[in-house]
Amino acid sequence: MTARRSDPVATDPGEAGDATDRRRAGYRQLAKAVLYREYLIFVRYPANAIGGIVVSLFFFGLLFYGGRMLAGRALTDSIEGIVVGYFLWTLSVGAYSAISNDIGSEVQWGTLERHVMTPFGFAPVAFLKGVAKVIRTFVTSAIILAVMLVLTGTTLELNVLTVVPVTVLSIASVLGLGFAAGGITVLYKRVGNWLNLLQFGFIVLISAPAFDLGWTKYLPLAQGSALLQRAMIDGTRLWEFPAADLAVLVGVAVGYVALGYLVFEYATRRARRLGVLGDY
Amino acid sequence: MTAQRHREGSGRADAAGGATDDDAPPAAIAVDGLVKRFGTGPDAVTAVDGLSFEIEPGSVVGLLGPNGAGKTTTIKSILGMVLPDAGTVRIHGHDVAEAPREAYARVDAMLEGARNDYWRLTVRENLRYFATIGGVDPDSVADRHDRLLEKLDLAAKADEPVRSLSRGMKQKVSLASVLASDADVVFLDEPTLGLDVESSRTLRRELRRIVDERDLTAVVSSHDMDVIEAVCDRVIIMSEGRIVADDTVPALLDGFETRGYRLASPDLTDEVVAGVRERFEVTDRERVGEKTEIEVATDSDGFYALAAHLRERDVALDSVETVEPDLEEAFVEMTGDAGAAGGGEP
Repeated sequence: MTARRSDPVATDPGEAGDATDRRRAGYRQLAKAVLYREYLIFVRYPANAIGGIVVSLFFFGLLFYGGRMLAGRALTDSIEGIVVGYFLWTLSVGAYSAISNDIGSEVQWGTLERHVMTPFGFAPVAFLKGVAKVIRTFVTSAIILAVMLVLTGTTLELNVLTVVPVTVLSIASVLGLGFAAGGITVLYKRVGNWLNLLQFGFIVLISAPAFDLGWTKYLPLAQGSALLQRAMIDGTRLWEFPAADLAVLVGVAVGYVALGYLVFEYATRRARRLGVLGDY
Repeated sequence: MTAQRHREGSGRADAAGGATDDDAPPAAIAVDGLVKRFGTGPDAVTAVDGLSFEIEPGSVVGLLGPNGAGKTTTIKSILGMVLPDAGTVRIHGHDVAEAPREAYARVDAMLEGARNDYWRLTVRENLRYFATIGGVDPDSVADRHDRLLEKLDLAAKADEPVRSLSRGMKQKVSLASVLASDADVVFLDEPTLGLDVESSRTLRRELRRIVDERDLTAVVSSHDMDVIEAVCDRVIIMSEGRIVADDTVPALLDGFETRGYRLASPDLTDEVVAGVRERFEVTDRERVGEKTEIEVATDSDGFYALAAHLRERDVALDSVETVEPDLEEAFVEMTGDAGAAGGGEP
């Protein structure tokens, strides 16, 4: 499938040969371009990623050593749950802030308009940007997880075929929230700091299963957190989960991504109506 | 001199969009009845008030107007960045509202005051990225990118991050990235904003050359009249959301009869100048060293009378220059006080 481009452009006789050689870009090239850009920024400016990892580990160190001093054995007994929860939290915060901050930056740089004008349509570009952010966050959170395991001497079940799908579906709901936050940023501009406060709400959502309230599973992260705990601590495989639990996980992921995208669409349309799209 | 100079023949065709007859290709850009208001009730501001014009493929049109004239709102409405309250915009026959993907497939824009590209990527990476976003496989236009970078004197910097470049070069990278996907309709809003005189001159020279070579359709909005005169085939002047003039640059200037003459002489004493003032319109007077320079607004017949008047008073002229009206003068006259305040738009 390719983006539609109506007809050749170059009419300069000297460049006519090139015009016939020019090919339309397909979604494969689009995906490659978006992911490659993310990769370039990741490897070229590692200080950002390393800084994020160091800060995350610092807070985990405070939590772990501080908690052990205060709670002693009680904390050590529940350390697997804390490690899994913290891993999911770093993933969630990374994905959420990456996508919402990215949209804010695009507005500031004047590049958002060029993505809105793309012949592919903005939705596929935004989706691929989200995928790129999730992959990047996976890499940094995997490093944080490895250090946490070494630091605490804990072992977890890391069945890739179970952990990766459950984790991806868990943070998909957060990605939806990120899109919604990005849309609000497009409309109201400098509200990033307020929207970042939502990250602390993720702690509650990740802990929600402990409350054992049925409706909480429909909130972002809650169901995913519960399933991830069982997968990584109890060693439950993906196919061993009840179908209804997986259905809720998928439904919540799809629902929040769709909701987030609708909010983003509404906000950008309203911004265009008010004439503030890209005005920073 | 009337400010209303809307030339019906300047590429205008049928109002709805497109062409003068069924066989002719559609206009590159066709705007019909565009209206945009901001706010509601008594505080509502009409930024664009029933704008209609067409731009032929391959022509370069300057969009001028004082602050608040509606230039940027017009450009953003054409690009779909602002949703108009009424009217239609077609690009090569594709309605921007109904078929944005088809319309955007041939359009790119360099917007005022924006980076327009990623400073953390290199120049070449930006071109490849924005070519892809624009719907073109970057491998298939790599040679064209190389030539574009050479034309813009950026080849030596192709693999450097944009953030490390000078302001002028960043502006060129912005232009290059807009041209990277081979769009044939480009919008350039203040392309020389913030550049020094030399960089501005270089950019407009290169811009004109690229426009000619690629047969681009371009809309250029700028407060810099030199850019407009150097690059544009036609000028649309806006004021208060409406078109007040739409013509070629020479045609706009031809209509001005306020040609004048600048005379310099050490004999232009206060008494002599006072005598000149009684018979002619002296628009400027300046003391330069031992000499006095005066500028007199008159036509060629008036000039002969002026020369005779001065000869009778034994005034020996050191120099005589014809003062031609420039676009800035035309702009100020057509837009009144608002134009005198400046051509840029925030």
